[in-house]
Amino acid sequence: MDEQVRRRMAFLGIVMVGLFGALFTRLWYLQVLETDQYAVAAESNQVRIIITPPTRGRILDRHGVVLADNVRTGVVTFDQSSYTDADAETLLIELADLLDVEVAQLRRGLADQRSHPLAPKIVATGLDEQGLLRVAERSIAGVEAKWDWVRVYPQNEVGAHIVGYVGAMSERQHRELIDDGYLPYERVGRAGIEGLFETELHGEPGRTKLEVDRRNRVQQILADVPPRPGHDIVLSIDVELQAAVESYLRQGLIASRKTVSGDSGFFFPALTGAAVVLDVRNGDVLAMASHPTFDPTWMVEGLSIAEYQSVFENPYAPGALNNRAVQGTYSPGSVFKPVTALAGLEAGLIAPRAAYHDIGYYSIPESRGCTGRCTFFNSDRAALGTVDLSAALTRSSDAYFYKVADDLYWVDGPEQWAIQDMARELGFGSPTGVQLPFEKSGRVPDGDVKKFLFEANPDAYNPYNEPVRWFPGDNINTGIGQGFVAVTPLQLANAYATIANGGTRFSPNIVETVVSRDSDTFGEAVLTFEPRVLDVVDFPDGTAVVREGLSNVTSLRLRGTAGKAFDGYDHEGYRVSGKTGTAQAQGLNAVLRRKKEDSAVFVAWAPTHDPRYAVAVVMEEAGFGGEAAAPVARRILEAVRAYEQRWPEPQIAFVPPQPECPEVPEALRGDPAFMGYVPQGCPWGVQIPRANTPGDADGDGIPDVDQLDDRFDNALGAATLPRRREGVS
Amino acid sequence: MLLGRLLAKTPTRRELRSPAWFADYTLAAAAITVACMGVAMNYAATWRSLSFEGADPLTVARRQAIFVLIGIAVMVAAAVVDYRVLRHCATPAYLAVLLALAALLRWGPEIRNARSWFELPFVGFQVQPSEFAKLAVIVSLAAFVAHHEGYLRFDTLFNAGLLLAVPMFLIYSQPDLGTMLVFVAIAMGMLLVAGAQLRHIVIVSLAGILALVLVFSIDALQGPRLLSETQRGRLTAFLDQDYEPQKASYNLRQSQIAIGAGGVWGQGWKQGTQTNLDLVPEQHNDFIFTALGEEFGLVGATLLLALYAYIVVRIWLIARAASDPFGRLLGVGVLSMLLFQVFQNIGMTIGIMPITGIPLPLMSHGGSGTLTTFAAIGIVISIGSRRYAL
Repeated sequence: MDEQVRRRMAFLGIVMVGLFGALFTRLWYLQVLETDQYAVAAESNQVRIIITPPTRGRILDRHGVVLADNVRTGVVTFDQSSYTDADAETLLIELADLLDVEVAQLRRGLADQRSHPLAPKIVATGLDEQGLLRVAERSIAGVEAKWDWVRVYPQNEVGAHIVGYVGAMSERQHRELIDDGYLPYERVGRAGIEGLFETELHGEPGRTKLEVDRRNRVQQILADVPPRPGHDIVLSIDVELQAAVESYLRQGLIASRKTVSGDSGFFFPALTGAAVVLDVRNGDVLAMASHPTFDPTWMVEGLSIAEYQSVFENPYAPGALNNRAVQGTYSPGSVFKPVTALAGLEAGLIAPRAAYHDIGYYSIPESRGCTGRCTFFNSDRAALGTVDLSAALTRSSDAYFYKVADDLYWVDGPEQWAIQDMARELGFGSPTGVQLPFEKSGRVPDGDVKKFLFEANPDAYNPYNEPVRWFPGDNINTGIGQGFVAVTPLQLANAYATIANGGTRFSPNIVETVVSRDSDTFGEAVLTFEPRVLDVVDFPDGTAVVREGLSNVTSLRLRGTAGKAFDGYDHEGYRVSGKTGTAQAQGLNAVLRRKKEDSAVFVAWAPTHDPRYAVAVVMEEAGFGGEAAAPVARRILEAVRAYEQRWPEPQIAFVPPQPECPEVPEALRGDPAFMGYVPQGCPWGVQIPRANTPGDADGDGIPDVDQLDDRFDNALGAATLPRRREGVS
Repeated sequence: MLLGRLLAKTPTRRELRSPAWFADYTLAAAAITVACMGVAMNYAATWRSLSFEGADPLTVARRQAIFVLIGIAVMVAAAVVDYRVLRHCATPAYLAVLLALAALLRWGPEIRNARSWFELPFVGFQVQPSEFAKLAVIVSLAAFVAHHEGYLRFDTLFNAGLLLAVPMFLIYSQPDLGTMLVFVAIAMGMLLVAGAQLRHIVIVSLAGILALVLVFSIDALQGPRLLSETQRGRLTAFLDQDYEPQKASYNLRQSQIAIGAGGVWGQGWKQGTQTNLDLVPEQHNDFIFTALGEEFGLVGATLLLALYAYIVVRIWLIARAASDPFGRLLGVGVLSMLLFQVFQNIGMTIGIMPITGIPLPLMSHGGSGTLTTFAAIGIVISIGSRRYAL
């Protein structure tokens, strides 16, 4: 063997070593350095996780009427991400032929803008078994035909704002929820209870872990966790009452549109409004209406852009999706006056029975020194004559409360902000805490709030760049619920409920219980919302006079502002205390391009002496509270009364409190002048009548207080009225 | 006692001793060990899917075991026969193979888009003539070069090229690019050792690289399509490992996952998930190494590599020590064939070579390949045992 061959053999040997070295190096890299990564890849390679969506929980009213339910239906989903537009179009035409529907209908599902652009879209629903089979046997890539649960709202638009709706996931939800086991085409809660209780309603998806081979044939089932169905949510509303409230609110608004405004000479626009019915004893929301409204069914099926615009961007039905009862903030107008009255009493500036001569306006006295506006007129410059606190509320004397607010402004000390403090105590300026999303907190204005507003938006509030101070005029405006005060209808109802029930302020509950539907805990309450007491307000002496004034508002004889609206009402059977309000709205009506009309407000509770329900009605640009809102409230209260008769509560035996009774000399027994010093229920004092005895019209064992009041008035005057603190029964 | 009698009968001069005295038994043992591992891995790669389909899980392994037994017999026969006889069989063997390859193109059934196999009637086996063609070409080329006494001028080099080109073209037409590449490797190894001048080798190599680039890109230059879609996809997948993950890159990705998941000690016998779930396609054929890599890890893979390295080194030593140029060239041909096949096959499963349909010698399922490899090793043993022969 010559030298050349030897060299070349050696070269061959080196090549051998090199090649084997390369193989070993790469093996080392794969099997030692990178083995973890490949082990994970191998694991995910062989395991497929199939997610079974759980059935969504239902939403029920307090008596079990279903507001949101699921029905099983065949759906066709289409994953267009793997198709070009042209291919998708031909496929849609083929599908439409197969399903015997219009292509446009399928295209609409595909064009649903509100879900993730790459997620499979539901193009057809409502298929039966035959339809599903027709689609399935064609086995088109990207098209799936299967049974699915579809959300239905059997009551349609009744309670729509409370219940909310489900819809396709937004892109953000898509990102967040896919990790929680949601399927891309699943409908999720987007508003109301559906949105807020999404976790409870959705349940836990089932996961089946399968081992599959290259051809996706199942080799074995590694784990099979069945889905846990979502919880039912039981609301505190009553569907029939809710429907009645919505209907009366709508009718009231329609009636207002046929009324000509005295201010402008145009018909009232009366486009929007809200109404709330609360149980003052525990804070349950019995009904909550907002107008304009919508049918949640529209949202489930998905709307085309044109439909969406026609429904939700209609200028004559602005903000149909907004629940104005918690999201709308309004000037309360005169319904704020009881707050001022209570503040004045608290500060000791009001003698409740003292006479005040209303001459139609109020001027800030010269002695106080006045800058800017110094004279404040009643709403129609009417001079109401001599009024006391009760009559000032009954007849809505602005001048009386101008004076109270002005007096409070000049107090040197913490009582200067008595109106604001009382408003906050009654729950204004902070969210009530009801279980609904996007609740507004409203605004209770004081010096800081004004400063903040002016600095935040100087163009609107302070165009001439004046120094920002809290003027007497600001306090006066606040005192009659104008100016910067902003409240939600729910806050109004809750504040009046607090006044009515003797001072217990609840956080309203719209959800009573969350009930499990899981097989082993079926029907058990997962979550129960007990009445939540936020605050107990200690009302000042003389609050009875405020209540008396409010109770006379519905009286025609005493010239109450809602007297006409409650003419012919069954006062004896179900007497109503309330307050009308006519709030001047700032700015222009965006659609009509003219100054906004006054908003009508009416807040009430009933029955007057055994308060059980509080009602607030707010109708934007609908006229006077006594003319537009009070009739609506009247009909709502009649519906509430009917509701009470439909669902009578079990009679609870009334055990009268046993007070410490003074020993009374025999000579003085029965003397009317003496009776005021003897606590209720004592011998020799005011006798508590038994049920269904004269003086107890409602038969609950509590004597009718107004008749006592009459007797007290006769005997002593109101200054020594005993405070009723046992208002919550 | 026996040894003593043997020693007493043994002539002192090496030339006169029986070739059995100098035969390389360890080479045969290594080859048989690899083949047994091959049978085991054939079983590991197929038992799950076979039993899933309701068939006998031993079906594939049993077939391979039969091939191996026949192969061992062939190896023994080839080792016993004096390799110099082959020099005289070279021409008829070459012509017979050419005939078979040509007939294949005309009458061969199309299986998996290629006419590479003859169906044998009644037996249920298929025969792959291109495997035998490798051996025939090695023998003919060795004979041709030995005829020119180990020195190649440019014109003889050209003739040698022609000798290679005809079967290569026939195999390319099947098409079977992988086996064609084996011929290129055989030719390069043998011509290198045959004493071709370096500048000729350089020229031919450059021309080869140029031809490869041309073949790969001629499509883009409006030329005729010389590569099939599959081949183009595989090459693209090799260069870009994220290319078409469900199609072209699938094999590459899955086999790397299998081997990588094996780790150092492997998942254990019959425990590999990639293997059991049939996630690596063609696993008992071209991708048999992935089964070993997944179930026995770096340890098993290194053992196999070591056995192959041992086989190749022994062949290299035998070729160096061969008594004549024909024997040396035969050895180098077999060496080149095995080295290229091992490197190419394992390289493609671990991602350092593009995917081509080349079986792993002695491991992959297949009768023709197993018989050819055993025969080649038998010939090498024959060369080694007659290194002192006159």
